[in-house]
Amino acid sequence: MKLWRSIRGTLDAFWITLRTLFRRPATIAWPEKRRAPAERFRARIVLTRDPQGKERCVACYLCSAACPVSCISMQSAEAPDGRRYAAWFRINFARCIFCGLCAEACPTRAIQMTPDYEMCRRDPLSLLYEKEDLLIDGPGKDPHYDFYRHAGIGVAAPRGTLPGERPPEDPGSLLP
Amino acid sequence: MPTLTIDGRTVSVPEGKTILEAAEAAGVRVPHFCWHRALGALGACRLCAVTVLDGPQKGVRMACLTPVQEGMRVSTLDESSWNMRRSVIEWLMANHPHDCPVCDEGGECQLQDMTVAGNHAVRRQRGRKRTFHNQDLGPFIEHEMNRCIACYRCVRTYRDYCGGDDFGVLGSRDRVYFGRFRPGRLLSPFSGNLVDVCPTGTLTDKTSRFRARPWDLEEASSVCPHCALGCAVIPGGRYRELLRVRADPRPQPNDGFLCDRGRFGYGYANRADRPRQARLEGRPGTLAEAVAALRERVEGIARQHGPEAVLLLGSARATVEANALLSLWARRLGAADPVFDLAARRDGAARIFARAAPALRATLADVRQADLTLVCGADPLAEGPLLALALRQAARRGAAVRVIDPRPVPLVCEAERLPLAPTLVPEALRFLAGGNGAGLSQEVLQPLAETKRLFDAARRPVVIGSAEGLGPDGVRALLALVAGASRPDRDAKAALLLPGPSSFACARLASAVPNAQDLRRRLGGGKIRAVVALEVDPLAEAPPAVTGVIEKAELFAALDYLPTATVGRANLFLPSAGPYEQDGAFCDFAGRLRAFARVLRPGTPILHTGKGNHPPRTFSPDVPGGDAAPAWEILAEILGISGGLSGARAEIEKAFSFLQGLAGLRADARDERVLPGGEPPAPPGAPAGPEPAGLRLLLSDPFVGWEPLSAHAAVLEVLRPEDAVYLNPAELARLGLAPGARARVEAQELSEIRVARAADLPPGLAWVVRRRGSALSRLPAGEVFACRVAREEGA
Repeated sequence: MKLWRSIRGTLDAFWITLRTLFRRPATIAWPEKRRAPAERFRARIVLTRDPQGKERCVACYLCSAACPVSCISMQSAEAPDGRRYAAWFRINFARCIFCGLCAEACPTRAIQMTPDYEMCRRDPLSLLYEKEDLLIDGPGKDPHYDFYRHAGIGVAAPRGTLPGERPPEDPGSLLP
Repeated sequence: MPTLTIDGRTVSVPEGKTILEAAEAAGVRVPHFCWHRALGALGACRLCAVTVLDGPQKGVRMACLTPVQEGMRVSTLDESSWNMRRSVIEWLMANHPHDCPVCDEGGECQLQDMTVAGNHAVRRQRGRKRTFHNQDLGPFIEHEMNRCIACYRCVRTYRDYCGGDDFGVLGSRDRVYFGRFRPGRLLSPFSGNLVDVCPTGTLTDKTSRFRARPWDLEEASSVCPHCALGCAVIPGGRYRELLRVRADPRPQPNDGFLCDRGRFGYGYANRADRPRQARLEGRPGTLAEAVAALRERVEGIARQHGPEAVLLLGSARATVEANALLSLWARRLGAADPVFDLAARRDGAARIFARAAPALRATLADVRQADLTLVCGADPLAEGPLLALALRQAARRGAAVRVIDPRPVPLVCEAERLPLAPTLVPEALRFLAGGNGAGLSQEVLQPLAETKRLFDAARRPVVIGSAEGLGPDGVRALLALVAGASRPDRDAKAALLLPGPSSFACARLASAVPNAQDLRRRLGGGKIRAVVALEVDPLAEAPPAVTGVIEKAELFAALDYLPTATVGRANLFLPSAGPYEQDGAFCDFAGRLRAFARVLRPGTPILHTGKGNHPPRTFSPDVPGGDAAPAWEILAEILGISGGLSGARAEIEKAFSFLQGLAGLRADARDERVLPGGEPPAPPGAPAGPEPAGLRLLLSDPFVGWEPLSAHAAVLEVLRPEDAVYLNPAELARLGLAPGARARVEAQELSEIRVARAADLPPGLAWVVRRRGSALSRLPAGEVFACRVAREEGA
């Protein structure tokens, strides 16, 4: 019995090799041929802009807090117009595991995942992406979303002028 | 003691406590916004709803307002109160902006926590949100009124607890507005507490606006280094930059409150011009080189010219460990004790107080509980601001506050003041202790007799003085007064304001004999060849007679972390770590040793190394500017003591028996250790010299501008007082000066130009408030000098 099983095990493997020899291969000859990944493929991270072309990122630190491998670091700062923005923003792609938790945590839709996975480098320093490397020109997914138009603190437009806001109250008035 | 059950846990609390306090005691968390341990209950937010299942008033009740009763059964998880709390959150969120990502409170926001806890995720209300205009509240506090939930904590803190009157509540119904009548800087010196008490992002810290999230901050239990009170603080830093300081919410010692100097005065640690590199004769070097050079050269000079050629200067702002090791070094060299305070009279006063019985020394809690407080020759708001706040709490409980001082001392509570020339204050204290009041005029004796009646009737009186204002004679009178008044049924205590966080320990480390003459002899002999300044700036704080000797020394070594004049002139410089960059201990004004833990490692902030942009893209194991080491570590290295802080502490305990217990102190547990009393120094044989005739100069400290750390914090510039000389209005007229005129003030061959102002002072006094860098400020604290004030023509 034992001997028969061993012979069969040996021949089975040869049979599978022989059978697959005449099939079309599953792999493709990258980089001569390229495959289009799925639309929601999670690869290289970008920072998007709002419909007005301003940076969406408000440097709230939620992505860096959510990141399980701590590959995102940044410094928030205040612009003269009252916007909170990232003075610098760095993603260490040598460490990134492309889990997408940062994009999920982002409250302003600034950080998004793209399907571009071709970013291997030999020098780890070239995998350190700064803000200017990450920032793209368009809004990416959710093209109409503008955080500051919903924030309600008068940065995108004077206070109380956006839909959903009442005009500013006059605390001096005692009218009912 | 009623016993009640909360969520199945049985707890007994004293009569008069509320359900909320009982729940805290039982370990059950009842959500709340408006209730605050130090501010009490108000019932404004309605969030602390609980269900009383069994008791005189059944149903949903506010936990913060309902007193406990025997046999009560309370549930926080009952559906009716749970639903109530959930709807409270929903209505609070109906108008709250959708801006958590750009709100600095995010991450430590009580409203955020309660919204998550209340399961509120979707706004069902369809109406539009209410908005307000914000106000510019000055450089410390950021205002975002749209975020307000009207818990009234800010008003109760600012007006009731801190005694400010320029912030309040305006408007009616759902548009109540918390702010000032007109936009402008909040004037209270305790305005920063609004940041800590506000449960939302309405009032946030402007000095660290948009800098970091609380979860990214490196924090540790520390002790405030800005005065001698030893307030418990929790500083936070990130990327080698100190970003904020908040009060430790625990009740002791400072009741969870801080002054603006302690909270916003942290900028000295991040200065771009902070000296971070060792310097040997003008040449940059490593710290190890500088330490070796310091040891070799000091020991060499001591060998060659005798130990009297070495002058060691200790510091009120260095740690207790560093000062103790400096004393130990002096001992090993055979040199005289380090000079811990160049102002001999203030030093003498501190040395007497540091040897008083521990039972006589008042803490901040004692001041808050006092039923009579006397402030004699002290300006609490400048020398120990939280003491002024503690005085206010005593006054709110009904204590009378009496001030005996030449200056119109500003306080944050009602006080009755008796203007008295500085030299008469000790005599007034002796009169209160039962003396005959020789030298005091009749119009002074009458109010003093009234104060004495109050003092004799008080059960917990606290007498507050300052080492600078009272001098050795005054401190003796102060201690005699409280020692004579202490009886089993009466608890009289004394507090003495000292210049820095280690002053008490320094005064204890110094020998009991005041060495004013000794110092003068040492400096005058022309023997000093080596001067070591440990975190002290003698060139800005000492008169020319002293600084001349120091500058002429063959070796002038300085250890510091501030860009002081001394650091600039020293020919051997060693960068030391700031108070929040090391483990160590301070000793507060009541002689309580408290340890603090390191918040950050020293190093140039990434803000500076990256020049505002991202950190440099280089790999290096070295921290830029990270050569600085704690002063105790440098001195331990010189003394050959190994074993880090515990080794140094063990050695210190061996050498100084009164510092026993130093090694066992834990910073996070807020341990404290009371220094024992000692043999009081004998009164000096020779009486003080004759008082100078004519106009006398009275120097005192401001809230901001003299204390060395906050004087190096740029954001506090706005609080720096005007360079003025204050005179009695009659005196002003006699000198031919109009208020606002420029006057030249001259004393001890130092002179400067100041603006003449009228103030309610006794005649014959010219009062000048110190400023770092001003000529007159170099005169030794606490001494009386003849001075001349004349109109400055031209310019």
